[in-house]
Amino acid sequence: MSSPTAENTARPAANRGIRKAVIVGGNRIPFARSGGAYAHASNQDMLTAALDGLVARFGLQDEAIGEVAAGAVLKHSRDFNLTREAVLGSALSATTPAYDLQQACATGMEAVIGLSNKIKLGQINSAIAGGVDSASDAPIAVSEGLRTILLDLNRAKSLTDKVKILGRIRPKDLSPDAPSTGEPRTGLSMGEHQALTTAQWKISREAQDELALASHKNMAAAYDRHFFDDLVTPYRGLTRDSNLRADSTLEKLAKLKPVFGKNLGDAATMTAGNSTPLTDGASAVLLASEDWAQAHDLPMLANVVDGEAGAVDFVHGKDGLLMAPAFAVPRLLARNGLTLADLDYLEIHEAFAGTVLSTLAAWEDEEFGKTRLGLDGAFGTVDRSRLNVNGSSLAAGHPFAATGGRLVATLAKMLSERGQVDGRPARGLISVCAAGGQGVVALLEAR
Amino acid sequence: MTADHVLTEMPSLSKLYVNAAATAARARIKRVEPVVALPPRALEVRGVTADLARLTQFQHLMGKPARDVLPSGYIHALAFPVAMSVMVQEDFPLPLLGMIHLRNQVDHYAPVLFTDVLTIRSWARDLAGHRAGTQVQLVVEVRNSEGTELLWRGVSTYLAKGIYLPGLDKPAARPAGAPRETFSPPRPTAQWKLGVDTGRAYAAVSGDFNPIHLSVLSAKALGRRRSIAHGMYAASRVVSDIGSPKPDAFSWDITFESPVFLPATVSLHIADTRADDGGWLGSEFTAWNARSARLHFRGSVAAGTKQA
Repeated sequence: MSSPTAENTARPAANRGIRKAVIVGGNRIPFARSGGAYAHASNQDMLTAALDGLVARFGLQDEAIGEVAAGAVLKHSRDFNLTREAVLGSALSATTPAYDLQQACATGMEAVIGLSNKIKLGQINSAIAGGVDSASDAPIAVSEGLRTILLDLNRAKSLTDKVKILGRIRPKDLSPDAPSTGEPRTGLSMGEHQALTTAQWKISREAQDELALASHKNMAAAYDRHFFDDLVTPYRGLTRDSNLRADSTLEKLAKLKPVFGKNLGDAATMTAGNSTPLTDGASAVLLASEDWAQAHDLPMLANVVDGEAGAVDFVHGKDGLLMAPAFAVPRLLARNGLTLADLDYLEIHEAFAGTVLSTLAAWEDEEFGKTRLGLDGAFGTVDRSRLNVNGSSLAAGHPFAATGGRLVATLAKMLSERGQVDGRPARGLISVCAAGGQGVVALLEAR
Repeated sequence: MTADHVLTEMPSLSKLYVNAAATAARARIKRVEPVVALPPRALEVRGVTADLARLTQFQHLMGKPARDVLPSGYIHALAFPVAMSVMVQEDFPLPLLGMIHLRNQVDHYAPVLFTDVLTIRSWARDLAGHRAGTQVQLVVEVRNSEGTELLWRGVSTYLAKGIYLPGLDKPAARPAGAPRETFSPPRPTAQWKLGVDTGRAYAAVSGDFNPIHLSVLSAKALGRRRSIAHGMYAASRVVSDIGSPKPDAFSWDITFESPVFLPATVSLHIADTRADDGGWLGSEFTAWNARSARLHFRGSVAAGTKQA
């Protein structure tokens, strides 16, 4: 039986087994500190730029992709079809379907895992997962009071009704609502939440500054050896992430004053140097079945082996807001018969240096392992020489939904370069924490 | 071209419009003998770059993402002051003000980035009779900074309505009683709702503050009943709507049939031509007034370019 179109020749449901989903490659624009190079670029501008670069890199002009999924955390209501609009504005075939998704900072990770699963099931043969965020071009809404009045005004029939409704407007209604990183249920910002966790796990200021410095040094070195040449496309005159400080030193970092948890006294350790700044940027990752990649003569860097989402009860302080990956990673590894020692690379998203270090501390803690993870003892120790070896969010910045795509493409390339380890494919883990007490983690394997 | 003249800086469009008005006034007083030849020189400006803020505004006004590659219409706007300088020279035979844009043909030979430093050169050619006056073509070439590589070439045809120059053959007028070509609108594929501020908005991003586009009053001063949308607004928007899956080399051609008085609702029909393998070859477009069904403009976008 002939098939209607090439992309729909994914396999019939009856004889589907689980097949492999491969990472072909990725592309992102350099990340920019908010209010900088992309101050006037919208989410759609940046997502289109990331797609443009991916299309150019892999020759996807006029190509129908199985599905594109991307999202933004700070999103204008007019951008309800953000991803589909970006696809229509790109050189991809207009017959490429697309949808938006959003899981806070884990948006990009969830896009990769969800689309990989569709490929594994044989529903699609190719996919692009992406994410974008602009802290500069953030939506600002009218106040809740004014919004209600305007909607009533729209429904009013007579002029007298309209005049009456307009008369309800009070000066306080005119101040706009800007988005914040505050948690709706606790009223604490993400930084304030992490400050509590950082203090709980007794993470020192020095340890956080050292992690931040390593992130900058590692990422600068990776740029210098052209590691990012086929992962990043310049945009708006920017060729490297504008937050990257190759010349940072521990002395400079030590001079910064704490910005979060200031009421904690000596336990106030989180500064602008060991926290990620608000950032603008976009990323995209090309995923495929093995057949599709081979038919298009494209590289296969790594397999998306497995993914796991987790969440914690942070509302009543049982766990820190950003600690969900501390639970999700042990589950993911156990399901795949692996331990921390079996991983050749770990990419743990640096929302704050304190987040990474609190997670590592929890895994090393015997009590946590026994009572919270249900293990015989501590979960394990991460070999720091395998952690964020090409830098992470403290250096690159963190445009919320775009971070997952950055991590997946970066790790896939690292695994591909590493190839085999002890006669088995190199393995890597990605862990991303997210607002709402959530986290999404994934396991990749070299081809 | 017998001689080139290099301008030291990009001319200011607003000054050019003032000069054009002054020249027109002088010509009315002096009643000078008309010249029936075009200036023999090309004008050139070097070291031109795009203004990033204005580029972004231009792209957003067209409803398109802000890319680093300059949209076709933006390159036209960037180069327009050079073409206008050609038309305000003392020995240019036609009055600039009130000139009507008849047609635009553009070839893209390579993508132009906002960071590129450009050399822009323009000259006039093909002065010819038209049944309604005299027409002329303005050629604009955009090259790399050394001037060695042609990136973009545009040819704009303008009509000086009611100006008849001695010695130019005038094509035969339509025979009395012969019907105009009838236009029956195709099925629309899109609709543009153009507000009264469309002209002012495009003027702000293109720098073309020709009074006929700005307001009813300023348009009336030039003999139009209402303000008119820029032809290049329509061209830029339809060309960017169509886009090109082959952005490296493509061409487009638009013929303006009647002015779009503002505000307006314009219906459009866009149809693609594809190769047997489904590859995009080009698109044709037609636009007309949604209410009166009067044809506004039509043309095409095509993959590939004519030989440079």
